[in-house]
Amino acid sequence: MSGATSAFSHQGPVNIAFGAVIVLLYVFLMAPLVMIVGASFTGGLLIDFPPQGLSLKWYFEFFERRDLVDGLLMSLRIGAITAVVTMTVAMMAALAGQVLSGRLSGWFQLGMTLPLLVPELLTAVGLLFFLYKIELGKTVVGLQMGHILMSFPYAYVSIAAAMRQVPASLEEASASLGATGWQTFRLVILPLVMPGLAMGGIFAFINSFDLYTISLLLKPLGGNTLPLALFDFLTYEFKPTAAAAATLSILLSILGVAIVQKLVGLQRAF
Amino acid sequence: MRLPSPRLLLAIPAIALIFVFMILPITNMAEMSFRTTGTKDPFGEDYTLAHYLRIFGDTYYWGVLLRSLLTAATVTVLCLLVSYPIAWHMSKAKGMKAVFLYACIASPLMTGVLVRNFGWMIVAALNGPLNETLMALGIIERPLRLLFTQGLVILALVHVFVPFMVLPINNALRNISPTLIEASTAMGATRRDVFRDIILPLSFPGIYPGVILVYVLAVAAFVTPALLGGQMVSYMPTLIIGELTGTFQWPFGSALAIVLSLSTVVVVAIFTALTAKLMERSKA
Repeated sequence: MSGATSAFSHQGPVNIAFGAVIVLLYVFLMAPLVMIVGASFTGGLLIDFPPQGLSLKWYFEFFERRDLVDGLLMSLRIGAITAVVTMTVAMMAALAGQVLSGRLSGWFQLGMTLPLLVPELLTAVGLLFFLYKIELGKTVVGLQMGHILMSFPYAYVSIAAAMRQVPASLEEASASLGATGWQTFRLVILPLVMPGLAMGGIFAFINSFDLYTISLLLKPLGGNTLPLALFDFLTYEFKPTAAAAATLSILLSILGVAIVQKLVGLQRAF
Repeated sequence: MRLPSPRLLLAIPAIALIFVFMILPITNMAEMSFRTTGTKDPFGEDYTLAHYLRIFGDTYYWGVLLRSLLTAATVTVLCLLVSYPIAWHMSKAKGMKAVFLYACIASPLMTGVLVRNFGWMIVAALNGPLNETLMALGIIERPLRLLFTQGLVILALVHVFVPFMVLPINNALRNISPTLIEASTAMGATRRDVFRDIILPLSFPGIYPGVILVYVLAVAAFVTPALLGGQMVSYMPTLIIGELTGTFQWPFGSALAIVLSLSTVVVVAIFTALTAKLMERSKA
């Protein structure tokens, strides 16, 4: 047991109180998600927790709703393209970032994470005007570009962190043995950063899947992503179908968390 | 002096992406805010200061701006109060317990804001679990109308941003050497002294980015007030989006967005100046 723990682990009312606070805080954190999952299995007609009896009927209802299913398919497609593009572009950027050092490297990192640091609202508003100007307003391509931009930092941060773990000596050894730059990348670097690369893709996909504000402003004619369709549904209908849709989204994020844990470990990822 | 490595060329697509699809558009938006109101198009050809004068001359906009800034400040403070104990608890955990706690933070983080806000609609419903718990405990006699109130917006925003605050603070706490705490305890420092003089200042490098990030994101949060805020109260982001998508007043909407961003920058600068001493201490 470390010193820090022993200094603070006297049993006593203070610790019990602290423990209770911690439990309450985790309840606060998890409650909304648990409620949604619970409400999605209700046999009743209203969104309710605890659910009235158990049934899967709202999931069948969800898959019969064209607007929601179309939204789901569009979100999956945009998310998949976003993941592939951001992984490629971020991998290249991380390779370039490796050769920078000192202050320059810091500025580069900052620049690459800008879309994460600037509020989505501003980027969305700017893009709305810009896409209109270059005649990509209200098109799927425009929306796709917005998603790629917003998800890029997630891919970059994961991949750059994995790149930093690769010792420079490996690259030098590979080069001195006569490997070309491409061979070194494919045979030495890529296998080593693969978990980070995959994690970057997962983060980018999930981020894209969840984006709302930017999708609202750049929404193409006649197309809706799942969050947009879900918002409309919640505003006008508010039935347990929404809980079923939201549960699918929660499942996706839990799956993402599990894969990330498997690949690199949550502690290192966050 | 070495020649720049050709490998730097690999950064071109990323730089182009961020420059063309973010920096250029945001610059564009600044320009848009000086355009005249259009008749056929969403904006006119000429330039004017009228939109800014309209915002500064109307107490309604001052009120909305102030509400947005204050709400975000409240959210940030509450977020810090909620996150610090969680981060502390997390920083002490090891093995499978640590993995479980990280998963509890990461799963909400990776679930969309809309979905999480929807969760609060269920919790806060008239006959929902929150009202029922409060009634069972005898705190209230009849259910409270919680939906579409400012309080719920704040609660839901705190929930959205807790992971952003927990993770940097947790990382800072993990970097504090246990021997330092042991040494001061051995020299007779009480738990309160240790917390005030060692742990708090040393965790400040985690608190600072957490606070800034949460504040900046909370000021511009749109989904939560739009879904949970109802029609009665306006926040800047809902106002801006309304101007852009409802009435197609692009120049005026841009001017509102610029005012919101500049006020955020001012608040961040003031916070940075006020906490400069704490930051110095953490480096010493």
